Amino acid sequence: MTARYLLRRLAQVVPAVAGILVITFVAVHTAPGDPVLALAGEHGDAVYYAFIREKFGLDRPLPEQLLVYVGRVISGDLGLSFVHGRPVAAVVAERLPATLLLIGTALVLSTTTGVALGVLAARRAGRPSDLALRTGALLAHAMPSFWLAQMAAIVLALGTGWFPVQGLTDARRAFTGWRYALDVAHHLVLPVLVLAAGELALTTRLVRTGVREALATDYARTARAKGLPERSVVRHALRNALLPIVTVIGSRAGLVVTGAVLVETVFAWPGLGQLLLSSIQTRDVPVLLGLFLLTSVSVIAANLLTDLAYVWLDPRIRYE
Amino acid sequence: MSRCRTAVVLVALLAGATAQAQETPVRGGTLVVAISADPGHLNPAITTSGATHAAAELLYNGLLGRDERGEPVPDLAESWTIEQSGAVYRFRLRDGVSWHDGTRFTAGDVKFTFDEVLLKFHARTKASMGGVLASIEAPDDRTVVFRFKHPYAPLLQQLDATEAPIVARHVYQGSDPQANPANASPVGTGPFKFVAYRKGAEIRLARNPSYFRRGVPYFDELVMRVIPDDGTQVLALENGEVDYLWGVPGPQQSRLQADNRFRMAQTSYHPGGSNCIMTMSFNLDRPVLKDLRVRRAIALALDRDAFLRQILFGEGKAATAPISSEIPWAHAGGLAMPAFDRVEAQRLLDAAGWKKERQGTRTARGVAGVIDGTRLAIDFLHFPTFAKYGELIRQYLGAVGIELIQRPLEPAVFAPTVFKDRAFDTNVISYCNGPDPEIGVRRMYHSSQIGPAPFTNAAGYRNDRVDALFDQGARTVEREKRTPIYRQIQEIVVQDLPYVWLVETPTTRAWSARCGGFRAWTGLFAETAFCKP
Repeated sequence: MTARYLLRRLAQVVPAVAGILVITFVAVHTAPGDPVLALAGEHGDAVYYAFIREKFGLDRPLPEQLLVYVGRVISGDLGLSFVHGRPVAAVVAERLPATLLLIGTALVLSTTTGVALGVLAARRAGRPSDLALRTGALLAHAMPSFWLAQMAAIVLALGTGWFPVQGLTDARRAFTGWRYALDVAHHLVLPVLVLAAGELALTTRLVRTGVREALATDYARTARAKGLPERSVVRHALRNALLPIVTVIGSRAGLVVTGAVLVETVFAWPGLGQLLLSSIQTRDVPVLLGLFLLTSVSVIAANLLTDLAYVWLDPRIRYE
Repeated sequence: MSRCRTAVVLVALLAGATAQAQETPVRGGTLVVAISADPGHLNPAITTSGATHAAAELLYNGLLGRDERGEPVPDLAESWTIEQSGAVYRFRLRDGVSWHDGTRFTAGDVKFTFDEVLLKFHARTKASMGGVLASIEAPDDRTVVFRFKHPYAPLLQQLDATEAPIVARHVYQGSDPQANPANASPVGTGPFKFVAYRKGAEIRLARNPSYFRRGVPYFDELVMRVIPDDGTQVLALENGEVDYLWGVPGPQQSRLQADNRFRMAQTSYHPGGSNCIMTMSFNLDRPVLKDLRVRRAIALALDRDAFLRQILFGEGKAATAPISSEIPWAHAGGLAMPAFDRVEAQRLLDAAGWKKERQGTRTARGVAGVIDGTRLAIDFLHFPTFAKYGELIRQYLGAVGIELIQRPLEPAVFAPTVFKDRAFDTNVISYCNGPDPEIGVRRMYHSSQIGPAPFTNAAGYRNDRVDALFDQGARTVEREKRTPIYRQIQEIVVQDLPYVWLVETPTTRAWSARCGGFRAWTGLFAETAFCKP
């Protein structure tokens, strides 16, 4: 039953992606702006700009450009970046690992810590430690990430001298092997902390509410009446409270491209967020379309995985 | 107060420069330089993009370099002669120069670079030289001859690594220069050679051991770090992660100045454009702005010193002429530039038919081409980064009854809106004059420069006399004869006011006090630089 459901969902992916592709293509091309400045540089003459437009096919009618583009994408070719002069797939792929590392670490950290803190707050509901956690979570969630990033750089990096404020590695030393991994981890600390802070706050509050509600249900009362230790009761409650958490985490998949723009920019993290920003500024249309395609595919995939996780978490859920 | 501070800064900078000159260079080590954008590729001959030029010029050379005053000095060419009153330039090339891959550099590389790369893809060099160059000849391996259709004055200013970097014929021949893989792993003649390009993160260079200038560079390694946020760049310098910044934002300058771990210097050179003046343009096609009295009133209503104080924090100059003071022989002194005078501005607006009934915006009464009762509201287009200029202009124009509507537009939108659609009343542009008025000034005023090409004649200004003078200036090689020509041009445009010239905006480089020997005024800034461990 679930297998048939899965197949049906997978079949929906193709028209969804195709639709997104056409819509984003039209949107990007009808938005004001001209990539020729990025392509050719400033202070050229009209003849030169016309020559460059022709060379990159920008002088063709939009429907023709769309057809050419879709044809290419079907054959697996995302085109050439205007700015980088290389295939879009390569330009995007070389930035992907840095972003996956950043987002992945931040999501794992915010989820594990958030669940732990949420459970703690739920069990101590109403007590001072609960109040402190709730206030802290509210503050962390409300704080704009660019401000938090600046503060982290000034206080934690400049103030203590323990952390670097930019980059993926130390520019002065070219480490290899495990020392390279340590160097990257060292550079990862501040951006991950900033990125995780907001997520952590959200997860903590969701878990606290969910666990509190579950602890007040009949099955929890029955479990306690049976004499089960509180730990086991909380474990049962948590599993039921996790459904909304999974939804929230799944919805964060789009972050892979968009959510980290600010953090990547402030900390000069060479990932997709920075690429997205610079591609918008220079109207590097092929790269933008490639990034939108990647985002839509990852959001669709995350939704699918979320649905499947539901089945595993709650055996009562059946997909027809 | 601000004069006083400038003087102190100058003294401090001079003292710093002298102290540095006395230091003996140290060999070895790594220099880390912050750059603001990922360049995408490292071929400065196919683009004028500041990002590529900042990152890549150290890999290359031009035929000539530039000294601290912007004057040409030998680089790949060791000497030159000017013949036929400036229609022919003959260059003698340095002997024993080799490309980073070991191939010998010859005159054929120079001819190929101009014919096949620069004159096709370098926007500035193509636009300025393309139409007047008759031929380039390489009669032997060490001689290059430029023949122009008529005498051509600015050539010697257009041959450095910013305007005309020389690339290798054996690398680019028979390929599309824009798609050649060497653009991401370049082969040059410069003091540093390419090691690795980690996209979006850094470019690693190493000392060129067979560089034609013996003994330099001093660094073993040079890393260009991509740090898009200028605040983060300053933090990275303070945290010891980078050694050299191309620019420091105004508010942070005083902090670095007060810290003896850092040195700073001002220069008006930048690979993306030198000698820049923030300039307000009037769209002369708009009926309201066709009236010289209105343009003059706007110019009189603005206090240029306020821009210097409030936006540049004193790091720059109020413009005193249409041509930058950094081109001293062309910059006209003692011009009758409109000085801040609100009373006169109000009088001119009244005379032009823009009446002020109560407090607030003026309205038309008997203005040609404008319906009576129309409010004097004009729009103002600017890059988001120039928002402060808009705010200040709005405030000053508001005081004389003109409403300014700010429209921030990203560069990619700004350029076609202003130059192609001409859909604006006024705007602000950082017009970079370049090393010669022929390169960066002509395009603002010559009527042939009205058109869709970005950052040309935004005002849509036409004046036959000015056109003729620019053409004459371009063909006159002797500087002492060019000076009066550009003076005449400036006197005319100050009368006509197609633009308001606000402030000259040099950039402030900063580096760690451990380091010295930088030549901030050229793209080969680190050729003679060093850092103590």
